Amino acid sequence: MSVVTRRHEEIQEKIENELPDAILDIEEHQNAPAIVANPSRVDDVVRVLKENGYNHLSSVSAVEYENRYESVYHLRRITDDREDFDEINVVAHADRDEPAVQTVSNVFKGANWHEREAYDLMGVRYDDHPDMRRILLPETWNGHPLREEYDVDQPQYTTLEAHANPIEERYEVDEDESALDTMFINIGPHHPATHGVLHLKTVLDGEVVVDVEPDIGYLHRCEEYLCERLNYKYQIMPYPDRWDYISAGMINEMSYARCIEELADIDVPEYAQVIRTLAQELSRIASHMLAVGTFALDLYGELNVIFMYAFKDREIVQEILEDLSGQRLMFNYLRLGGVSYDLPEPREEWFEKIRDFTEELPEKMKEYRTLLEGNELLMKRAEGTGILEPEVAKEYGCTGPILRGSGVGYDVREVDPYSYYDELDWDVVTKDGCDNLSRVQVRLGEVEQSARIVEQCVDILEDWDGEQEIQSRVPRSVSPPAGTENYTAVEGAKGELGIHIVSDGTEQPHRLKIRSPCFSNLSAFSELAEGEYLADMIATLGSLDLVFGEVDR
Amino acid sequence: MVTFNDAVAEFFGVEEFSPLVEFAVALVGAVIVGSIILTIVGVSAVWFKRKLNARLGDRIAVNRVGPAGLFIMPADALKLLSKEVVVPEGVDRASYLLAPILAAAAVIAAFAFIPFGSGLQVADPETGLIFALAFASLGAIPIVMAGYSSKNKYSFLGFEREVAQAIAYEIPLVVSALAIVPLVAYFGDTDTPLRMSEIVAAQQGPLLGIEGLPVPNWFLFAQPIAAALFFVAILAEFSRNPFDLPEAGSELVAGYLTEYGGVNFVLLFLAEFAAIFFGGALFTALFLGGGSGPFLPAAVWFLIKMFAFYVVVQWLRATVPRVRIDQLLSLGWKYMLELTFLNLLLTAGVLWVVL
Amino acid sequence: MLDTSKTQISERREGDVDPRMNSKLREMFGSLPIVTTSLDKVMNWARASSMFPFQFGIACCSIEMMHTVAIKHDMDRFGAGVFRNSPRQADLMIVPGTINAKLAPRVKRLYDQIPEPKFVVSMGSCTISGGPFQEGYCVVKGLETFAPVDIHVPGCPPRPEALLYGVMKMQEKIKRGESSPVTVKPYEIRELQDWDRDEVADFFEDELEPDTLVMNYTHSPELREVSEVEEGVNPTTPAEPTEGD
Repeated sequence: MSVVTRRHEEIQEKIENELPDAILDIEEHQNAPAIVANPSRVDDVVRVLKENGYNHLSSVSAVEYENRYESVYHLRRITDDREDFDEINVVAHADRDEPAVQTVSNVFKGANWHEREAYDLMGVRYDDHPDMRRILLPETWNGHPLREEYDVDQPQYTTLEAHANPIEERYEVDEDESALDTMFINIGPHHPATHGVLHLKTVLDGEVVVDVEPDIGYLHRCEEYLCERLNYKYQIMPYPDRWDYISAGMINEMSYARCIEELADIDVPEYAQVIRTLAQELSRIASHMLAVGTFALDLYGELNVIFMYAFKDREIVQEILEDLSGQRLMFNYLRLGGVSYDLPEPREEWFEKIRDFTEELPEKMKEYRTLLEGNELLMKRAEGTGILEPEVAKEYGCTGPILRGSGVGYDVREVDPYSYYDELDWDVVTKDGCDNLSRVQVRLGEVEQSARIVEQCVDILEDWDGEQEIQSRVPRSVSPPAGTENYTAVEGAKGELGIHIVSDGTEQPHRLKIRSPCFSNLSAFSELAEGEYLADMIATLGSLDLVFGEVDR
Repeated sequence: MVTFNDAVAEFFGVEEFSPLVEFAVALVGAVIVGSIILTIVGVSAVWFKRKLNARLGDRIAVNRVGPAGLFIMPADALKLLSKEVVVPEGVDRASYLLAPILAAAAVIAAFAFIPFGSGLQVADPETGLIFALAFASLGAIPIVMAGYSSKNKYSFLGFEREVAQAIAYEIPLVVSALAIVPLVAYFGDTDTPLRMSEIVAAQQGPLLGIEGLPVPNWFLFAQPIAAALFFVAILAEFSRNPFDLPEAGSELVAGYLTEYGGVNFVLLFLAEFAAIFFGGALFTALFLGGGSGPFLPAAVWFLIKMFAFYVVVQWLRATVPRVRIDQLLSLGWKYMLELTFLNLLLTAGVLWVVL
Repeated sequence: MLDTSKTQISERREGDVDPRMNSKLREMFGSLPIVTTSLDKVMNWARASSMFPFQFGIACCSIEMMHTVAIKHDMDRFGAGVFRNSPRQADLMIVPGTINAKLAPRVKRLYDQIPEPKFVVSMGSCTISGGPFQEGYCVVKGLETFAPVDIHVPGCPPRPEALLYGVMKMQEKIKRGESSPVTVKPYEIRELQDWDRDEVADFFEDELEPDTLVMNYTHSPELREVSEVEEGVNPTTPAEPTEGD
């Protein structure tokens, strides 16, 4: 901790030297100190931080207070060295009546979407933002729903209209014959390859994608709004399951549990930690299986062999998780301070079930690899397409298999351990290809690593001779002290899944912001897809493995 | 080999029919061939395809509707025919409604030139091979009509792809088929080597005319390179996997089919599957010795070989991903074209040396 | 302020015989009862036995829908496994997931694009009532508020077995030629030119084409209750009981 503290002091000094009037105050958040920056200089502060190694902007969240609005930036250091990991927050205060803060989207491109979201839901304007529009709600929406004063009962009108070619003017200047002839096409919200309800406003030049703009919000389910009206202890927990609904529910629950447990200072017994780890890794296996299957589906366009095999294996994992939690998909298994049930009885039988699965897995992985890498045509399609350079990925805040497929070994489980990961033996999988293939390969590798963790957890649980305590003593009402806030993240199936909670001393969070990995990954999509063929754009979309419950929340 | 009319004339011991009877007999022949084709297509497109795909993916597929799910065929047909016919606003009506009929008609008419054996061949002109290949390429035109008239951008992209694909693979298809013509002339000892029945007849002896060899003189063995090239070209010509770009399920929703429903969809779907069988029939006649085979009648052997071709095509569908448009075109123009011409020259050269 | 007149669909579905089960042939043979009855039976059997579901994934339930199609549960066994991407070729619309204000006009458009006869299975709590997200500010409280639904499959999400059961119930219903429920419609999705001049039209007049679909979204439950009482429309039939879950 001392290293980190010293580093924080150094960086603070540096900013004060370079930008004399930029720092107004220093606040203490649960996860790291927060620099209260001058709202008009916040981009300079973030730039200095970026130059000094804080190269990952996790999230931007807007918080409403009685007398002001706050825009909170969470920055992290991404390095391969675990000792080097560190985080810092930046806070900018905005006026109550006309909240406005300087944009940081010129420093981190990934901030673009985050700030649009803050504007959409909270109404904080970002000055000099290149594209200050609504992102989740329809353009015709009236009011900013996360504000206290928002009248939920007012009538709203939403429309369905055809979209115009956004780059038509760009080519209109050039009236001669060499002018590019483009076609605008709406892909989605109903399209077989969008795996949900994404709308891509695509401009095609022949078969080549010249411009693509994702339009999201078709599955915006007001998760943050709902969570802010529910109590910490029981009511919020079912909702995380529905963010990343591809069986990754256990990890999502962990992300919420981790944040509030740190904030409210709740211990988790070691036995429950092991169960949590086991459950999370099983979730990850199921989630990655679906990612591989649907990637193949995008390339084939038919219910093909890889897809079917992936689903066969998912069924097994879902059955194991069902034995544990009683549910196939929406587990609602974790509790603050532990888990809800002990392992299913007879536990030997259940362990045997898991063992059978993990023992067969290497054989199955070999088959997947043959089907994917042994297929000449598939390799031709997947290799060298959807290139995402590591620098660009960091710029946009991409995390998870996407970032690791670009050769950056950032894994929250490794750098900022939680649950029981610290005690276990496993590796971070990275690939240097930066293309669709390496992203899929990373997922296949991670399935194997997860199986390793699962095996170790089963061994530990089998030999457990201490007290089998599944939940620590949690006070009847969980209410962290007023004014405290915390941002923590876990390694979700899709990347860094972070939660930012601001407490006002009651049983309900004042602000609960979900930092969704898919949201950031998708914001880099136009970088990946522009200049590619239409077919490759679809494959790239598949390799990003998006879940719209998490993108739109 | 004789056409259906000749066979009937022989059966009745008649030298020559009057033109009217000739026409009536030809019509009967056409009806027989047409019904065989439609039955096969009906069975394979609706039921067999599902069962086969399910088998490859470890599933069961239809088994509740009738024995082994066989009644799914009338059910599907009745349901699709009874659906509302939607003609979207702003389509080119004439072209939109004509395309499905033309598609189905073109591909079924093409079967007239196929020598099924056992006297089942409706027409056997001197230029039968060229006719058959011309009908094979005709299938692209209804797709263009359908895609262009639908007023849907996905359909539009689908037909654009079809045009590029049809043009790129037209020449390889014809030239790879032509490579067997010298062989037909040589082995069949005939003046009309483009006649379909002569092509089949030339494949009946032992391989390369060497007496005593247990392998038949199928051009698959005598001309393996041409057979491989022809197979690839026919897959591309009829846009089957891995070249199913005009339909491209995951990219273009349903490609040129997007705006079609009900009876129009049935016709296009039927044309699509009949085209696979037409490809199979061509391949069988050109490279698999037509109806040659032991014990069973020639027509039965022919149908078995056609079905085998269909199974291979469906197998590819379940296991091979779609290629990209640039990969497809570069394969067509850069490799297929050169290889087919090289093969033709090679064949001519070898025969020149031998003779 | 809400215009609660029923849309065309709900009116068309109100007769003795569900017009979806009707056909040109039936009209022709209208005076020959034996022929029409047998014909109806055959047609209903065909419609029930062969269903092309519409491939439309929305949210969590679509994962379970994929499981229903895939290896273990294999919906194709019941003749309902040919998923079509294009609405023109589909006849069974399974709606798997939460519908919000932004998506609702699109779902409505897709529903309209499916040619008759079409059937709707609503999957999961969200399509019944908004489910766990009911209190959200932009969540539409059930599919039935703007499109007719034949079968509800409750659950969050329903197990694949439950969806299979729902589809089988749908098939039974079609085989018996039963009519579908009339829907209650607090959210009107109509073309702009059909709205009353004073209400919405002014709001969008300059910006939109007259044939754009516009939805009036109101969160307040009180407003909806009033509209239902005033209208006196038939209550929706209760959800079919399902196994599992």
